[in-house]
Amino acid sequence: MNAEQPVLETHDLAKRYGRRTWALTGIDLALPQGGITALVGPNAAGKSTLIKTWVGFERPTRGSVSVGGIDPWKDRSGVLGLVGYVPQSPALYDGLSVNDHLDLAVHLRPDFDRPYARQRLDQLGIPGDQGAKSLSGGQQAQVALALALGTRARILLLDEPLASLDPLARREFLHVLTDAVRSDGATALLSSHIVTDVEQACDRLIVLGVGRILLHETVADALATHWMAADGAASSEGTAIGSFGGPGGERLTLLRSESSSAGPNLRQASLEEVVLGYLASGRALPGEAAA
Amino acid sequence: MSRIGSWLVLSFRLHRWEVLASVLGTALLAAAMVWFTWQLRTLAAAEPACLDPTTYVVACEQSPQRFYELASFAEGLSSVAWVAPFGMGLVLGVPLVSREIEQRTAGMAWALSRSRTSWLVRRVAFAALVLVSLLFVLAITSEMQAAAQMPTRHLDQDFAWYGRRGGLLVVRGLAALGVGVLAGALVGRVLPALLLAAFASVLIFTVISLGMDRWIEADAVVMATGDPEGGRYLGERVELPSGELVDYGELGRRGLSIEVIDEEDRLFARPEDVGHPERMIGWGRSLIVPGRLYPQIVLRESAVVGGAAVLLALAATFVVTRRRPG
Repeated sequence: MNAEQPVLETHDLAKRYGRRTWALTGIDLALPQGGITALVGPNAAGKSTLIKTWVGFERPTRGSVSVGGIDPWKDRSGVLGLVGYVPQSPALYDGLSVNDHLDLAVHLRPDFDRPYARQRLDQLGIPGDQGAKSLSGGQQAQVALALALGTRARILLLDEPLASLDPLARREFLHVLTDAVRSDGATALLSSHIVTDVEQACDRLIVLGVGRILLHETVADALATHWMAADGAASSEGTAIGSFGGPGGERLTLLRSESSSAGPNLRQASLEEVVLGYLASGRALPGEAAA
Repeated sequence: MSRIGSWLVLSFRLHRWEVLASVLGTALLAAAMVWFTWQLRTLAAAEPACLDPTTYVVACEQSPQRFYELASFAEGLSSVAWVAPFGMGLVLGVPLVSREIEQRTAGMAWALSRSRTSWLVRRVAFAALVLVSLLFVLAITSEMQAAAQMPTRHLDQDFAWYGRRGGLLVVRGLAALGVGVLAGALVGRVLPALLLAAFASVLIFTVISLGMDRWIEADAVVMATGDPEGGRYLGERVELPSGELVDYGELGRRGLSIEVIDEEDRLFARPEDVGHPERMIGWGRSLIVPGRLYPQIVLRESAVVGGAAVLLALAATFVVTRRRPG
């Protein structure tokens, strides 16, 4: 894989379910190699659909998708050789133990790195002989992550693995993920709707709403270029993105400005506010008429 | 543990309830058949002459009665053996894909395995191995029981208990497995898939059975009505005085209705039917495939059902490689 070439790409990607329901519309993305990208959006924003088109589980209605330059729908086997996938609400086999899952992975994928996956689980104190059914939600997610890491794939696609985990389990999961990605030089795309977790672990941020990309940039840039204005504050210092209700009932407006210093009525936006501002802007967009 | 051994253990753990239910059912049925075989053989060995229908021995009056009572129960078991391949094929086949989709494990498994086809082949191979092993046991025990029940007949050239004994059980089971896997892959939920597969099995095997009857009709011979020992009865025909052989539907289309059949199997029309002043239409005849053709017909049906199993497996592969994991 060429280091310059984006590892995950889409061009004008659209996905429709049935006759009318558009999950994605006109998605253009190019993710560079390395680091962790957060894919953030509310439920039904199209996060899972986007990830599944990259894994080859969904066929685009329009546009194209590529993973390492390979079209997943035309060469699924080639793509799966590059990708480790953690499905939404990781489901393990009830009748199998943790070690059985690793053995199963070896049978399904002869190059699966069982010792590496086992080592990751040992570090977390997850016993191999424990039945999958008796694992906690956090442990199940860790086993699913270990299965994805054991593929030693260069690209990890994680579809909301944090959704059902408690804060401590989320923290542990993200620690294992960041450690693995940094040490292996892999590229990870993590979908989530929990922005605080994303802030700790991710380098890049994609905000997806109503099936469209609302924001795509590095976390550092997103924080540096977005400002919050409270009720009635002048917005001449930047471009208004979207407004939403603050914790005290006040109306907050997210502004974008390349200026490095804030005006007197502005303060720097948190990542959560950046996401909320873009999601609010997405709500104001018309529905899928153009698709 | 070897790679194959490890795969067998994992596959068993994934399908333990279906496998255990199939093993238990087979063990009970096979044990019952062996017991009846032993009982029937014991009775037959005690008074061999009693089972010869051409002779009458006064001392045999009790023994055959007991023999035929047991044989009647044994025949009930052979009916279970007829159903077993369908039941076991569906029980083992339906969950292979549908449960993975229903319990959301398909996403993980299909992402780990680079080829869904090889994933499916491994799954189906295990189920087929279990099914063939169990049905092989039933095929043998049902043959033994049939031989014990009909000690004076040569069952290798006899259509008695057709489809309830021998290799056909195994081939039919494999086709039912194919129906189950395909239905499971299409529906993606175990219970609805099981119902669909049961309905589809009835349909598919009825079509195959009717098709086979049409195919082997060319090998049938015309015989006087009655019970042709060892032959396969395909239906009634009427032999007209001209020598033409027609079925009863054709008689109706020609405006003839039968009023009476005498002891010599002669058919007489109603007086008002035109063109038959003598009123005799012809002779009642049976269309029979001779027992000597039994091995050939079993082979033919095995090829057809086996071909259907392969087609069903290919269709299931097509569906699995294209469907969403749920």
